[in-house]
Amino acid sequence: MSRAGPTSKDSRPPRLRLRSAATALGVTLAFLIVGAQLVRLAVRGQQELTTTMSQPVATSFARPDIVDRNGRLLATDLEVPSLYADPGLVLDRDEVAEKLGHLLTELDETEVRRQLADRSRRFVWLRRGLPPGLAQAVHDLGLPGLGFRRELKRVYPAGGLAGHALGTVNVDNKALAGLERYLDEVVGVEAVHGATLSDRAPLRTSLDLGVQHSLDDELRAAMRRYGAKGATGLVLDVETGEILAAQSLPGADPARAAESVDPARPDKLMGGVYELGSIMKMVTVAMALDGGRVKTDSVLDVREPLTAGRFTIRDPHPAGRPLTVSEIFIRSSNVGAGMLALEAGADRQKAFLTRLGLTAGMKTEAGPVAVPLVPDRWDRAETITISYGHGVAVSPLQFAAAAASLVNGGSRVQPTFLKQSKGGKQQPSGSNSQLISTETSRAMRALMRLNVTDPHGTGRRADAPGYRVGGKTGTAELPDRGGYKQTAVISSFLAAFPMDAPRYVALVMLFEPKPVAETRGQVAAGANAAPTAGRLIARIAPMLGVLPQGAAQPLESSEETGEQGVAAEAATNGRFDGGGDAKY
Amino acid sequence: MRTLIVSAAFLALASAFLLYGLNYDTRRIESNLHSLERSTEKAKSDIAILKAERAHLARPDRIEPLARAQGLVPAGPRQFAQTGDTDLFEDRDQVRPAAR
Repeated sequence: MSRAGPTSKDSRPPRLRLRSAATALGVTLAFLIVGAQLVRLAVRGQQELTTTMSQPVATSFARPDIVDRNGRLLATDLEVPSLYADPGLVLDRDEVAEKLGHLLTELDETEVRRQLADRSRRFVWLRRGLPPGLAQAVHDLGLPGLGFRRELKRVYPAGGLAGHALGTVNVDNKALAGLERYLDEVVGVEAVHGATLSDRAPLRTSLDLGVQHSLDDELRAAMRRYGAKGATGLVLDVETGEILAAQSLPGADPARAAESVDPARPDKLMGGVYELGSIMKMVTVAMALDGGRVKTDSVLDVREPLTAGRFTIRDPHPAGRPLTVSEIFIRSSNVGAGMLALEAGADRQKAFLTRLGLTAGMKTEAGPVAVPLVPDRWDRAETITISYGHGVAVSPLQFAAAAASLVNGGSRVQPTFLKQSKGGKQQPSGSNSQLISTETSRAMRALMRLNVTDPHGTGRRADAPGYRVGGKTGTAELPDRGGYKQTAVISSFLAAFPMDAPRYVALVMLFEPKPVAETRGQVAAGANAAPTAGRLIARIAPMLGVLPQGAAQPLESSEETGEQGVAAEAATNGRFDGGGDAKY
Repeated sequence: MRTLIVSAAFLALASAFLLYGLNYDTRRIESNLHSLERSTEKAKSDIAILKAERAHLARPDRIEPLARAQGLVPAGPRQFAQTGDTDLFEDRDQVRPAAR
C-alpha cells in the first residue's frame, strides 16, 4: 500500500502524490495497530479484574471431620459469619456499641468503643462465629462500617462426649490439644482465607459413640449415686488396642476451649498418674504365676503381718488361715500380694512392670500420656507396697493397656484412638511383644472371673448376667501431706469380658466416693466401682456384639472361640483347664 | 486500491464487533461460572451444616431420654435367643397361629 498508485496516474503533481502516500501510511499504521491489538487480545485473553482488599483477610484452617468408628460425626467445620468493623467508616461508635451490645449479649460494650476509637485502623474483629440468625439481625441494623466475613468454625455435634480425647481448637481453627492436634501435626490441615471446607477424608477414630455415651452416662450416674468428686473410665479392645470409649469427669466440652485447660477439669485418664491400689495385684499375681514358682492353688501363710522398716502391712479383713494364690487375689490380701512380690524380688518386679510398660511414658494420637512415677529406691518396703498398688503411680490408660495384655493371651497392647483395619491384630513390634505366657494369661482370666463369681470375691457386684464379667477391685487411699487420707479414696474396677475369650477391657474409677446408704457406709471399690462396671458392661456388651452366655457366637469371631472358648464352670473352680473343650 | 482499503476497514470493524461480542460472552460465562462455583460452595456448606445438625439431633444424650420415654431400654441378656433353644421355637409355633 505504500506503493500507492505509482502506475498510470503518475502525472499528478508531486504535492498530491506526497499527500496520498502519507494518508496510505497513516491508514496502514492504524490497521497494523488494530491487528496487533486483536492478536494480543486473542492470544493473552482478558486480564481478570482483581480487587485488592485493604483489610487483612483472616487466615483460618480447614480441618477434616472427625468421625467415630461407625462414621458418626464427632467434629466438623461449619461456615459461619464473623462480624468486623471498619472504624474509619463508623459514624457513631456509641450507637454501634449500644445496638450491638443489645443484640449480642456476650459483647463487651466498652471494649467495642475502645476498638472503634482508633480511626486509623481499617479492620477490627467484633465477634467471630455468629449464628446466622443473629448475623441477619446485626445486618438489619443497617449500621455503616460493619461487615461480615465468612469463616470456618469447628463444631462438635455430639456435645461434650470424649472431650478430653478430641481436644479443642482456637478461634482460628488451629488445634490446641487432643486428636485435633493429631490432625494438625500428622493428617494435615490447610491454611485458607475465608471459608473453604476441607476436602480431606475424615479422621476415623476408634471411638464408638454409643459406647462412649453409655460410659459417660454410667460414670455420671455413679458420681451422683456415690457422691464422687470425679470419675474416669475407658473401654479398650484387648486385641487391637482400640479405645472405644474414654471419658474423664468433670468433662471438658471441646466447644469451650477454656475447659480443656481448666485445672478443675483435668484429663484423669491420660493426663494424671495415680496410685491405683489393689487392681495392681493383677500385675503382682501375674508376675508370680509367670515366674512359674507358684500356681493358683499354692498355699501361702498370710496370717502374720508383713513388716518393712517402720511399716507394718496387714489385711483389713484377715481370713485367719493360710490362703491359696487365687484366694489372695479374690480376697485382695495385701499381705499375700506382698509375699508374692517378695518371693519374686525387687529386680524381677521392676523388670516385670517395665515389660508391661508401667514404668515409662507412652503416647497415643491424643497426645503423650502422663509419665508414671516410680520410686528412686526400690527395696523391700517398695516391693511390698507396689505389690498392692502403692508406691507406683501410673495413668489409668496405661494400666488398662497392661491389664489388656494380661488377659488377651499375653501380647502387648498399644492403645490407639484410630480405627484399626478390620480383624487387624496389631503387628507385634519386635520379638518382645509376648509379655507373659499364654498359660499365665489363661490363669489370670480364670482368677478375674472367679473374683466376680465367688461369694467371697470382692468384685461379685460387677457381674452382668450372661456376659461373663471378670475383674479386680482397687481401693487406693489418696496421698495427703505426709501420709494417706483414710476416707478419701480412688475406687476402681478393672473388668474384662466375656471372660472365656476376652474381647474388651473396661476400667471404671471413682474419685473420692462418699460412704452412702446404698454402699452401707463403704467407700471400697467392691461397693461402688464394681457395680458401676457391671451396669456399664450390661449396657455396652450388646452394642459390641458380645452375646450373652449360651447364645450363638457371631460367625466372624468363631475362630477365636474355637481356640479360647472355655466354659465358665472351669473358671469357677479357680483352676483353668485350658481351651480344648469349647462348648459350641 | 480503494476496495482493498474499504474491505480492510470493514474487516476491522467486523472483528471489532465480533471481539466486543466475544468479550461480553466471556464475561457472562465467567460470571455464570462464578455463580455456579458459589452455589457449589453454598451447597457444600449447607451439606456440612445439615450433617452437623443431623449428628447433633442424633446425639445419644438426646436420643436416650426420647427412647426411654417410649419405654425402650438397653438390650438385656434375655433378649438374645440361642439357635439351639427348641423351647423358644415351640413357643413361637404356638403363638404364630394366634398372631395370624
